[in-house]
Amino acid sequence: MSEKLLEINNLKTHFFTEAGVVPSVDDVSFSIKKGEIVAVVGESGSGKSVTSLSIMNLLDKAGKVVNGEILFDGKDLTKASEKELRNLRGDDIAMIFQEPLTSLNPVFTIGNQMMEPIRLHLKLNKKDAKARCIEMLDKVGIPRAEKVFDSFPHSLSGGMRQRVMIAMALSCNPMLLIADEPTTALDVTIQAQILNLMRDIVEDLGTAILLITHDLGVVAEMADKVVVMYAGQVVEYADVFTLFKNPKHPYTQGLIESTPKINQLYEKLHSIPGTVPNPLNYPSGCRFVDRCPFAMKQCITHEPNNTYTADGHTVKCWLHEMDRIENETLKEKVRN
Amino acid sequence: MNNYFVRRILQIIPVLFIISFIVFTLVFVAGDPVSLMLPDDAPPEAREELRETMGLNEPFVVQYITYMGNMLQGDFGESYRFNQPALDIVLDRLPATMELAIFAIVIATAVAIPLGIWSATKQNTSLDLIATGAAVIGKAMPNFWLGIMLILLFSVTLGMFPVSGRGTAMHVILPAVTLATGIAAEMTRLIRSSMLDSLSQDYVRTARSKGLKDRIVVYKHAFRNSLIPVVTITFLQTSTLVGGTLITETVFAWPGLGQLLIQAVNTRDMAIVQASVFIIAILVILMNLIADILYRFLDPRIKYN
Repeated sequence: MSEKLLEINNLKTHFFTEAGVVPSVDDVSFSIKKGEIVAVVGESGSGKSVTSLSIMNLLDKAGKVVNGEILFDGKDLTKASEKELRNLRGDDIAMIFQEPLTSLNPVFTIGNQMMEPIRLHLKLNKKDAKARCIEMLDKVGIPRAEKVFDSFPHSLSGGMRQRVMIAMALSCNPMLLIADEPTTALDVTIQAQILNLMRDIVEDLGTAILLITHDLGVVAEMADKVVVMYAGQVVEYADVFTLFKNPKHPYTQGLIESTPKINQLYEKLHSIPGTVPNPLNYPSGCRFVDRCPFAMKQCITHEPNNTYTADGHTVKCWLHEMDRIENETLKEKVRN
Repeated sequence: MNNYFVRRILQIIPVLFIISFIVFTLVFVAGDPVSLMLPDDAPPEAREELRETMGLNEPFVVQYITYMGNMLQGDFGESYRFNQPALDIVLDRLPATMELAIFAIVIATAVAIPLGIWSATKQNTSLDLIATGAAVIGKAMPNFWLGIMLILLFSVTLGMFPVSGRGTAMHVILPAVTLATGIAAEMTRLIRSSMLDSLSQDYVRTARSKGLKDRIVVYKHAFRNSLIPVVTITFLQTSTLVGGTLITETVFAWPGLGQLLIQAVNTRDMAIVQASVFIIAILVILMNLIADILYRFLDPRIKYN
């Protein structure tokens, strides 16, 4: 369990647009161990999806990884050739997406689409590939798998389609499953089913999951570790219990406070004021400064460093940087 | 689904009635055919007699009913120029036009599909610019001008192809290219925009995430989807194609329906005009029907009920 499966170090992904360079992912680092579930949380535009797409280089033409390394099983994917990446995609690393409605091709049958990665990576013949599809469809709890195999995506419900996507993604026994908002487009009841399904299967197969979401409920339910992203940067990184018990970054605190809790009465639900800064024109100091209730002078002028506290809990905030410096000076004084 | 097609075919009948009425009316108001049929110095009595025998003195409604009655029995009247049943002459010319149209469509698709796909996959590169530029020029060139230029260059100057007429495979190339240019230009632009749309869809990203080769992602996943609008619009353009054959056939003296129709209009050979327009209308309607059927095969989401 301890071996690192995926390690992202100082990743920078930029989009080169007509309006200018958009630093969608700016110096992001985190890692995933084998069989672990790591959630990346953040609001729209925080760079979480772009981070996930950078791993297998599925960015569209304008996007490019400009710095950093993505080590998968010890191999740097940013230096891998397109062919090497293709061999990984769908085989060792599989992906499921937010919209099961549009993520399946409307003009091909489920079977046709599911057999593609199986035949490609597992090198099975048609008959065995079909058997594998049916087996996977059964596994994700699709009734009458034989019939679904021959049907088109439009004849299935959203939940069923996402099950198909999961079955397809897991069909080649990947080591890592990247799930980009897998339940956002689904009904609440179906969401729980899909999350349970993912967790069960992953426990079964030992697959690690990189879960992209904006839903802290999903995070609490699923994740071992949490990466909180804001404006293209990781602002906090901790295991799930630590994060919910002791959120250090004002943004994380705001996120947790903005989540409605069933046993509390609110006059008004908390919300973080303001909006995410324009990525073409990020503030030179802390990117959260305009919305932060604790903003100080140096927050405007200087970008905070990543501060490591106990148990691998990392936070990018001057409040804690100050704590650390104070602690260190204190220690220094004691020593002297 | 069968019900749908029975209904679609039954719908053709009123359409044909309306077309026949419009054609008849246009011919009726176009002028007196007798003045062209007889020499200028023919005595008025002779003209009157001919009008009487042709039934041209009857009121409009009576003439139309007679015409419809004959038509329903497959009789479009007799061409005064050829002294043969009009329908026979029209059907005789039809294969030549079909040959030209099919060659043109084959050339147009063979050029437009790769060009459209390339310019979409290489969007905003020089190749894309050249392809879209060529498409604009192709669309802007009138058929008659392009035909004459091709004849001047390839037949007169280079002597590579015959100037006009029909016969060998060499004869069909220049008129088919003339006719294909506008269609290819239109199709290239259509395929390009349709491909750009498909390529940006989520299922393309899914296909790439499965490790499929670019070729399969583009040609299988994206192209198959972009075909849906392309096929529909291409089939609906049959009428444009027919319009093109009228001009192209005249320029190249291609003995097809288009040339026949132009001549018939010039000589007020009404029977031929009516029969040709009617046959062309049936062709266009059939093409629309085929487009509908193909639609069902291309897009499984469409159900006919």
